[in-house]
Amino acid sequence: MPYPEVMVAPMRAELTSAGVTELRSAADVDAFFADSAESTLVLINSVCGCAAGSARPAFKLSMDHARRPRRFATVFAGQDLEATSRMREVIGDVPPSSPSLALMKDGRLIHFVPRHMIEGRDAESIADDLKAAFDRVLPEEE
Amino acid sequence: MGTFHDTNDPLHGVTVVAVTGKAVHVGRCHERDDRTVVLVDADTHIEEENGKGADGRTNAEYLERVAAYGVWANIPRLTLEADRIESLIPLKDYHPQAEPAAPAAPVPAEEPACATGCDSAGVGAETLGEMVATLAPVQQETLQMTDAAQAEVKRLISAESRPGLGLRLGVSSGGCSGMRYELEFDEPKAGDDILSFDGFDVLMDGVASPVLRGVTLDFESGLNGRGFQFKNPHAKRTCSCGDSFMA
Repeated sequence: MPYPEVMVAPMRAELTSAGVTELRSAADVDAFFADSAESTLVLINSVCGCAAGSARPAFKLSMDHARRPRRFATVFAGQDLEATSRMREVIGDVPPSSPSLALMKDGRLIHFVPRHMIEGRDAESIADDLKAAFDRVLPEEE
Repeated sequence: MGTFHDTNDPLHGVTVVAVTGKAVHVGRCHERDDRTVVLVDADTHIEEENGKGADGRTNAEYLERVAAYGVWANIPRLTLEADRIESLIPLKDYHPQAEPAAPAAPVPAEEPACATGCDSAGVGAETLGEMVATLAPVQQETLQMTDAAQAEVKRLISAESRPGLGLRLGVSSGGCSGMRYELEFDEPKAGDDILSFDGFDVLMDGVASPVLRGVTLDFESGLNGRGFQFKNPHAKRTCSCGDSFMA
């Protein structure tokens, strides 16, 4: 059951205010990935304070890295159910977890950070892992 | 920003790996005390006699994949007996090729270490005893099985040759004392409480689980034995055959 919107609005704003595209419906997801060639980092957001509370700032920290995806997007698990379900279809055959981070390129998942790699870690450490993944799997021109 | 956890357990909400014999269990630690550890959104992988699970993977291969991508949650709520757990560590600290990590100093429960202000804290590998020592004891009874009952269930299940089969315990209306115990072999269903024993799981639905707390299942064999027997300390009345009771 979704939490009251007033409670999660700040968690949405934490990302959207940084320029992250929030996908609220299945149609939003489909439209966003109509051009699937561009590299995209997706955060499956959640209300869990001890995991998503680190994932969101980590996501934002990674956006400043020299080599980074072209696009940044998010869906809110437990809140925007259709969008999350559709996003998980796009990500592919990995167990659903939230929060989690998926790096997509050419419509394929090329790097995944499941929830258990977020739990109990600080934002800087998670961001460092993301940046290392960008350097490893994204082409230089990104 | 935001916390919805109401416990000081440093492992609460953390995805953990618990090892019991030839079974590994992965799930988010929900609650634990000196008798049980409850995982939610969990999965269990059991190595059979050929060293591989039903999926053809060893436990190490299974955990390697889970560590990379997360766990498919097949069991909504899994209750493990604490004294059967050989190791319990956060999944993020599981390293397939590494030697077992040395126990780390437990994080005091009174000092939340989560940067976001919630009650969860990152912890390293530690023994179950150390972790339990940080917790206030909670009086929560669970179903018990005598060694004889476990041996007989194990024998019967192995004769069925159906992987994943567990012992379902239930209660229903009837019998001369109001409620009747039920036993059958079954596969896990959504919403089951699952209690893990050596070589098999006990399955209980949401009705049976609270009623069977504190109950001991025994087995008596031989000429004068009466088979499986439920010993219920909370029953106000039982019938002489032991098949029914009034809670």
